[in-house]
Amino acid sequence: MKMPGMLGPRKRPFGGTVINRGVRASMASKVITPWDWILAPALMSVALTIVLATAFQPFGFYLPEPVSPFILAFAWPLIRPSYIAPFVLGGLGFFLDFFWGAPLGFWTFSLVLVYGVLALARTYLIGQEWIVLFGLFLLTEFIFFSLCVLLTFIDTGAVARLWGVVEQAFATTLMFPFVLILLEKYLHSDVRFM
Amino acid sequence: MAYGDKTGHFEHLKLPMTWAVMGVVALVCVVAALLFLGDRREEVDSSGYANRAGFDTVAGFPDKVLAYPVHKIGDGTNWFDDYFFAIRENRKLKMKVAELTQYRDLYIEEKDINTRYERLLNLRTEPPVETVTARSVAVSRGPFANNRLIDAGSNKKISFGNPVITDQGLVGRVVGVSPDVSRVLMVTDVTSHVPVMILRSDARAMMSGDGGGYPKLDFVRGKDSVKVGDQILSSGDGGVFPRGLPVGEAVKGVDNVWRVRLYSNRSAIDFVKVLLFKDFSQLPNADTILRAPPVSDVLPPPALPAVQSASSSATATSSSAAASSATTVKPVIGATTSAAATSVVAKPKPKPVIPKPAATASSSAAASRPAASSAAAPVTPELKPYVPPSTPAADPSGQN
Repeated sequence: MKMPGMLGPRKRPFGGTVINRGVRASMASKVITPWDWILAPALMSVALTIVLATAFQPFGFYLPEPVSPFILAFAWPLIRPSYIAPFVLGGLGFFLDFFWGAPLGFWTFSLVLVYGVLALARTYLIGQEWIVLFGLFLLTEFIFFSLCVLLTFIDTGAVARLWGVVEQAFATTLMFPFVLILLEKYLHSDVRFM
Repeated sequence: MAYGDKTGHFEHLKLPMTWAVMGVVALVCVVAALLFLGDRREEVDSSGYANRAGFDTVAGFPDKVLAYPVHKIGDGTNWFDDYFFAIRENRKLKMKVAELTQYRDLYIEEKDINTRYERLLNLRTEPPVETVTARSVAVSRGPFANNRLIDAGSNKKISFGNPVITDQGLVGRVVGVSPDVSRVLMVTDVTSHVPVMILRSDARAMMSGDGGGYPKLDFVRGKDSVKVGDQILSSGDGGVFPRGLPVGEAVKGVDNVWRVRLYSNRSAIDFVKVLLFKDFSQLPNADTILRAPPVSDVLPPPALPAVQSASSSATATSSSAAASSATTVKPVIGATTSAAATSVVAKPKPKPVIPKPAATASSSAAASRPAASSAAAPVTPELKPYVPPSTPAADPSGQN
């Protein structure tokens, strides 16, 4: 779509559309569509979940099972509030419910709740140092998995093995660099959302 | 619409973005919460996973594709192992064959004796269970759900509840079936409860999963009923699992709770066997049972009370027999015709318990009766003059 002040849209081989204002390409801002920062990462998360669920035990060890949509539930509200993101996050939660055999709504509720809380506190959280962000990530993760344990207890009457919860939380924590990548790409750089 | 390009009718309409997004979040949360409350897993049944069959069919395909190279690489690695370590393995196997030959002979002998005992005792042995071999294609092993997808389904006669084992031991049971893919609930899942028995002491317990590799043993009763290293088998109680499937060994956890080291964790779970075992609770149709007529409509009416036989014998026999039955049934004392006696005896009217007359009993009994009735006298609040109990017996009509 042609916008005022534009000489014409131009497609990049990778990334979004570049607004050509007649200046150097490196100084031009990119227009970010929902596909770039919502749908594509969501599909990557689904793909990663499926790959890590392969029945494969290298050297007798199981593959890690991180809750990869949690990365998106943490990063998306910090990037910007969106009407699409909660629905996509809900869809990812449903996918996990079905794929991992959890009760319906289990992951959906937990993930969207994290999104909602962070969206409310967004103005206080953005612009912080990465170490502060990492501490916030750990805190959010703790609350998230505590909620999961509570929901499991409500559902089954049994407390899940806490060491197993710690293992899964650790695997999820290892994905924190993806949060930084998403924030660097869509929050800290000069981008415009469509 | 592009940023800054507001040319529509609602260009001046400004929604509070954060609060509008929170509304969306609340909507999704409410839907998720309702679904969660409506999808309780504490009772795993076939209907609970029925809506997931389509998803499992779709999810099974990429998992099969991903598992294919993994399986191929695994098979290739095994082939290399077999090739390069053939000599060493051959030596080991020769020793093992020599050792196992003795066990084989012993087994044949014991089996023969066992078969003869079974025939002698007319034991009802369990029929052999048909099995289906499948391969694990995807696994969910988190603390909140432990499931597996296997590449065999209803096309191979697999149905809900079928137990799944490996060559080592029990793995779980089938909780979702689609034509080509089945979902197996592992015994380590938080919703899994398997009735087990300890082989040494024959004690019963319930093995409950908690998401880890060592399920708990609940409801262990008795002193020293479990010791470290005891073999745990499925007990067959409840009928979901057949009796005697090897499950694992008893170990004591750091939390001082008895747990089970699963035999199935000895090696990677790749090939599995699905036992086409019919749970005996599945055999009768619940609807048919509920619609069955009451027992009183099916069974013949109950036999007449013993009074009838006594009366008929009384009428059929002489008056001496009538006198002997006078202590139990008064109305037939003076009856002479069988018809009259039957009509009276068939529906005996309730009557108050009255002390037996002294005239029909012996003199010693008559002497003891007043004492018995006088013992019940304090029930009356007023003191009255003593009335001998033989007075009402003088008038036979007063008993009716």
